[in-house]
Amino acid sequence: MAMIERTEWYDLLRATNWTPKYVTEDELFPEEMSGHRDIPIEDWETYDEPYKVTYPEYVETQREKDAGAYSVKAALARDKFLDRADPGWISILQAHYGALALAEYGAIVGEARMARFSKAPGNRNMATFGMMDETRHAQLQLFFPHANCKLDRKWDWAQKALHTNEWAALAGRHFFEDIIHSRDAISMGIMLTFAFETGFTNMQFLGLAADAAEAGDHTFSSLISSIQTDESRHAQQGGPMVKLLVEKGKKADAQRLIDIAFWRSWKLFSVLTGPMMDYYTPMEYRSQSFKEFMEEWIVGQFERSILDLGLDKPWYWDEFLRSLDETHHGMHLGVWYWRPTVWWNPRAGVNPDEREWLEEKYPGWNDTFGKCWDVIIDNLVNDKVELTLPETLPLVCNMSNIPIVGAPGNGWNVKDYPLKYKDRLYHFGSEPDRWCFEQEPERYADHLSFVDRFLAGMIEPADLSGALKYMGLAPGEIGEDAYGLAWADIYKEMAHKKVS
Amino acid sequence: MAAFPIISNFQYDFVLQLVPVDTENTMDEVAAAAAHHSIGRRVAAQPDKVLRVRKQGADDFFPRDMKVADSGLEATETIDIIFADE
Repeated sequence: MAMIERTEWYDLLRATNWTPKYVTEDELFPEEMSGHRDIPIEDWETYDEPYKVTYPEYVETQREKDAGAYSVKAALARDKFLDRADPGWISILQAHYGALALAEYGAIVGEARMARFSKAPGNRNMATFGMMDETRHAQLQLFFPHANCKLDRKWDWAQKALHTNEWAALAGRHFFEDIIHSRDAISMGIMLTFAFETGFTNMQFLGLAADAAEAGDHTFSSLISSIQTDESRHAQQGGPMVKLLVEKGKKADAQRLIDIAFWRSWKLFSVLTGPMMDYYTPMEYRSQSFKEFMEEWIVGQFERSILDLGLDKPWYWDEFLRSLDETHHGMHLGVWYWRPTVWWNPRAGVNPDEREWLEEKYPGWNDTFGKCWDVIIDNLVNDKVELTLPETLPLVCNMSNIPIVGAPGNGWNVKDYPLKYKDRLYHFGSEPDRWCFEQEPERYADHLSFVDRFLAGMIEPADLSGALKYMGLAPGEIGEDAYGLAWADIYKEMAHKKVS
Repeated sequence: MAAFPIISNFQYDFVLQLVPVDTENTMDEVAAAAAHHSIGRRVAAQPDKVLRVRKQGADDFFPRDMKVADSGLEATETIDIIFADE
């Protein structure tokens, strides 16, 4: 039987709005859930998703993708890549799965809100596929690491992390709850699909895939690039929303949502992806530096797409560009120094060759971050390991919930950005973090950061053991140096040679 | 005599840290408490210098013998700890 070309019936198929008879339009699409902003439904009907797919196409394509991802995994299972992988690479995987698996599950809920409450039929249609995509992503990123639970308890954090009060999990939940779970369908569509998905996820899922291929981890490389093909489709939902809002005189609204989501996404990536690319990936597998990947995916592509939609670059763009040379180095140093508090084993990544690479990619690194590492290395050379472990908490930002860092050493510029709101003193890691809070203070005001909880007596005992217990980190899960500090041996040899 | 949390922004370190002190501590004692978490960990000692305390961004240091209780500092306020000649 001859089939009609999809282009001939697609527009008819997706025109699923009707005039409700038994309830009002407002009851069907309450503003709080829908976010239609009083734009007439006829205008929402002009929403046109750039990337189109029908259900039969979806089923066929997704089946092929899954056959690919699962068969690569099965074929390579015997290769036992993980038995010989660099411990830093293992840490990347454990951190990635823990941070993301259940966040993908959360994204199903966000897609579902658009599927039900968007007034744009094209959006509802695409979001239905988006729900299925995110279901796939959650399943894949739980199933793949699960096979490794027999090797090491940290693999179980793929499922466990976002159920705990581990500080990075707190930061992840704060971020995803802000941009997905507590907003109307359109706001969420702009913040999640446009700002986070088209902006940043390419970094983690394509940039890292390139490094994974270099490292020989074809299971992971094929998995995350397969995941990203789905992302490229459902991430397109936000663009037409922005376009409609701008056309209807609501540019400031769209701009503000993107400015908030972009900065918050940046901070999350600075603590997760930055250290992975510039420190945990063994040097010989690094295709590009974190900054180079950011410049390619974010500064290059995303900046262009914002401008194409008639928006402006976020007001803090210069500060964002400046911080590409700095923030993730501080986040890495912090995560390494406070390594017992994470569910993976941080890889220091500062042997002499690596420091040369860092200096080449980030001129001035040795004069700033290098100065801190010099003291740490000195302690390791002199077997003072206890001085390379913390005895207090870092201050975390009341927005990003990650440490407030800056450049140390000869470029010292660390600064708190405080705010008094209703008699409570809040602390932020940057001007944009503080600005995010000020956009809607009541949204954030009641949240207690990890440090707030510590000061409120919620962590008992009020020491590292109490903190680890509060965070759900048990022996076998508590982070250690990826090499058991053996990387410092080269510095011990150098010191020995100097003396003799 | 009361526990008092301050936030240490220690010169040449990379991060802000929570440092519990006491309202009866002098600024010299506050500086020493903060130094414990930075000097010899990520910041090289400078034995020929004195550590002075100021509110973040202020021009002037607190007097070395001033007590926290008399400083006007609020709980969790950020202070800079700076290597100075005197």
